[in-house]
Amino acid sequence: MRRFPWVSASAVAFLVILALLAPYLALPDPTRMDLAGRFAAPHASHLLGQDEYGRDVLSRLVWGARVSLSVSLGAALLAAVVGVTLGVIGGYLRGGAEFVTLRLTDILLCFPPMLLALLIVTLFGPGARTLIPVLAIVYAPSFARVAYAGALTIRSLDYVTAIEALGAGRPRIMARTILPNIAGPVLVQFSLAVAASMVLEAGLSFLGLGVTPPAPSWGLMIGAARATMSQAPQLLLWPCAALTAAILSINALCDGLRDYVDPQPAARRPTRLADRTAPGLAAPPSRDTVLSLRGLSVAIDTPRGAIQPVRDVSFDIKAGETLALVGESGSGKSLTGLALMGLLPPAARVEAGRAWLDGIEVLDSAPDIVRGLRGDRVAMIFQDPMSSLNPVHRVGDQIAEVILAHRDVGAADARSRAVALLRQVGVPDPPRRAAAYPHEMSGGMCQRVMIGMAVANGPRLLIADEPTTALDVTVQAQVLTLMSDLKRETGVALLFITHNLPVVAEIADRVVVLYAGQVVEQGDAAETFAHPRHPYTKALLGSAPREEGPPPEGIPGSVPSPGELPSGCCFAPRCAMRLAACERPPPLVEIGGGRTSRCIRWSEM
Amino acid sequence: MSAPLVTAEKLGRRFSSGGFLRRRPGVQAVVDLNLSIAPGDIVGLVGESGSGKSTIGRLLLGLIPASAGRVCFDGDDLARASSAQRRRLRKKMQLVFQDPYSSLDPRRTVGRQIADGIVIHGLLPSRQIPARVDALLRQVGLDPSAAGRYPHEFSGGQRQRVALARALATEPVFLVADEPVSALDVSVQAQVLKLFADLRQSLGLAILFISHDLGAVRHLCDRVVVLYLGRVMEEGPVEAVFSRPAHPYTAALMSAAPSLDVARRRHRIVLQGDPPSPLDPPSGCVFRTRCPFAIAACATEAPQLTPVGGSMHRAACIRVGEDTTHRIDDELHRLAFRNNQS
Repeated sequence: MRRFPWVSASAVAFLVILALLAPYLALPDPTRMDLAGRFAAPHASHLLGQDEYGRDVLSRLVWGARVSLSVSLGAALLAAVVGVTLGVIGGYLRGGAEFVTLRLTDILLCFPPMLLALLIVTLFGPGARTLIPVLAIVYAPSFARVAYAGALTIRSLDYVTAIEALGAGRPRIMARTILPNIAGPVLVQFSLAVAASMVLEAGLSFLGLGVTPPAPSWGLMIGAARATMSQAPQLLLWPCAALTAAILSINALCDGLRDYVDPQPAARRPTRLADRTAPGLAAPPSRDTVLSLRGLSVAIDTPRGAIQPVRDVSFDIKAGETLALVGESGSGKSLTGLALMGLLPPAARVEAGRAWLDGIEVLDSAPDIVRGLRGDRVAMIFQDPMSSLNPVHRVGDQIAEVILAHRDVGAADARSRAVALLRQVGVPDPPRRAAAYPHEMSGGMCQRVMIGMAVANGPRLLIADEPTTALDVTVQAQVLTLMSDLKRETGVALLFITHNLPVVAEIADRVVVLYAGQVVEQGDAAETFAHPRHPYTKALLGSAPREEGPPPEGIPGSVPSPGELPSGCCFAPRCAMRLAACERPPPLVEIGGGRTSRCIRWSEM
Repeated sequence: MSAPLVTAEKLGRRFSSGGFLRRRPGVQAVVDLNLSIAPGDIVGLVGESGSGKSTIGRLLLGLIPASAGRVCFDGDDLARASSAQRRRLRKKMQLVFQDPYSSLDPRRTVGRQIADGIVIHGLLPSRQIPARVDALLRQVGLDPSAAGRYPHEFSGGQRQRVALARALATEPVFLVADEPVSALDVSVQAQVLKLFADLRQSLGLAILFISHDLGAVRHLCDRVVVLYLGRVMEEGPVEAVFSRPAHPYTAALMSAAPSLDVARRRHRIVLQGDPPSPLDPPSGCVFRTRCPFAIAACATEAPQLTPVGGSMHRAACIRVGEDTTHRIDDELHRLAFRNNQS
């Protein structure tokens, strides 16, 4: 949620106003000594007592804030302006500017900040005036680095190319497009720099190289109090407390601002609740059913309340069968697969449902039981093979690892088994390829390795989440052929999650169509594609471009987001066949031939 | 056919890698491309990843410099244009990206992003801009109230419409659409494709439509250019190329695409192996390492585009003179038979 950070902002404002108003407050002169009142305890005229020279502590604290805040804020601001300018120019323009920025910051970063500051102060003499540029020089390189890294990432994004294509000049792009998008890390860096320069100012003043006595500064106060620590420990307390409060409130403000300037709402930390309602009694699964899923609902807690991206999904998969779970983005198809693997993201939880894999309950079991099944009886293949393989291990070792995790075999056995698996999934020259790293292989080869890894322990169920979407068409054809060969040879049950209907038509025996988290139609794949019994299935089929005939129709509107589901049939707002009765949620009904449909007008189609 | 709007002559682009002092030879991403696009023409550019599709799009827009050959826009050589001239040309050509999630700046409202082009080129006085943004949003089928919202509040299809509105703001005559629908849901793809067709109709836009989705190309484009490893394998009118592919690669690409039509599924060439590395392309014909029809001569001779039948249909295969369609059909049947046996 984007809320202005009022609390931390007012705390910082309070400090700043206090420092600004110091001359106008009815405070005693911070430098006026009163030796008679040395170490006096707090009383009416000196609210926080008096120090070793009898000076008023409260007054010195407030006047000291002037110095500390102006030095640290001024230095951080100067460092930010210089550093960010250098960093953005270097990161966006590259070439000579990049060289200058990087080498300059490298040279400065070679020196420990304290030593660098000491060196410069010794050259220019102590005093609050010199401290600001000194500290700015010390902290500018870190700003330059942060801005450089940010600019480098953002310059390659499409929206930067888009605005270049619109003809925007470079200064405009840097100021209007790059800068706002690196604001987050720069603000964090700013809060760190303010805190660090406040501490460094205190340190330098303590060493006598910062603010010169008798001018008040928190660092000087800490330095002086240290000498008399045994007599008056409270003198150490006040400046330290002021320092801590100032740093904390500035950090909180910068963090709050970072979230505030980001227009995208941040995902709130997930809460994990263990309220899993009993799904009711389900018939025990029959013998050749590998997976039986009943009434799965997945909930995600969001700042606006819980949403249900998967609602009451049930299906069975038999051995040697391919079930395609079809749907568009947001249909809940991937979450269903992840829930079965016990791999839901932290924000999501299984709210209801039971699933039996080979007769073992997986949704309600202890995490270590599910972990034991993963990679053994059930395995998963992901969309992007390049990022699913570990880049720093050889592919043969990665497959052997999976075997070793579940089977009691020697390392050498596992390795030779890995080579055999690579041969089985059609990787040419398996012994040599087993020693290769993922980056040395093409996307298609990596996906073959992933499949080899998935079938390493002879799983009963293979869940494939968009396994060919990231591949080229000619390579996709190879991988689909491989998967149907494997299914035929090993009798593994395949849960194939995809949005691509032609792929489903190629590979699936049965199909489950999901829309907005619900099953809308389920049945034999060929039957369902030839005679869809739900308007969504029909419209989806009409959206896929065909070789012949008119251009595809498409479906008006878009999938409702899980937070704003219609009260009745979820597809009704986009449906050409809707009636008044569609305002009520339709049930999933058996329509014969082992098929089900969630449409009250299925028989008219 | 009217005078071409965009022409590429012997266009080439090499990406060199390596450091400051040591340059390695690098990747030849585009080789000897000749292409011309007339006003109101939609040309499809198909090929697999690494075939140089996106590079060609950016070369035609002058976003990256060519390393060989030249690009002319409306008769002006892009590389020789003065910066003022280039600014004027910039306005006339735009780009639409694949991923509508990364192509919009997340920190600025949709309305301000659409207005960018108008502001940059000073096309309208500032008080007329909101009305123009409203009109643009309507043109792409969005409600004008969208202007005040941020990109993350829209679905993928809606974002792609916003991106299109932004591209249309400067009243371009040429649009490069780089995989504009492949990141969208199937049901939404058709809507966006229809929008492209409508815009061509109403604005007379010339479009270079880059895609790996042959179905979309077939329905939207007038002409199609098939790329493999930065070289044109085949080009011609969509009907001709799709109904009688003359190059084995085109035939393989078309047969590899999964299909809802049961009858088509039996005819399939599953190409073996992966595309070769563009760093080290094969000698002669770059497709020969995966081609079912390769002969010894393919290794020595780089094939030139030669006419196939009539109507500008050309293919780069030395065996194109043989009775091509029968040859490919026969081979398809033979392979299908072998696949079924195995």
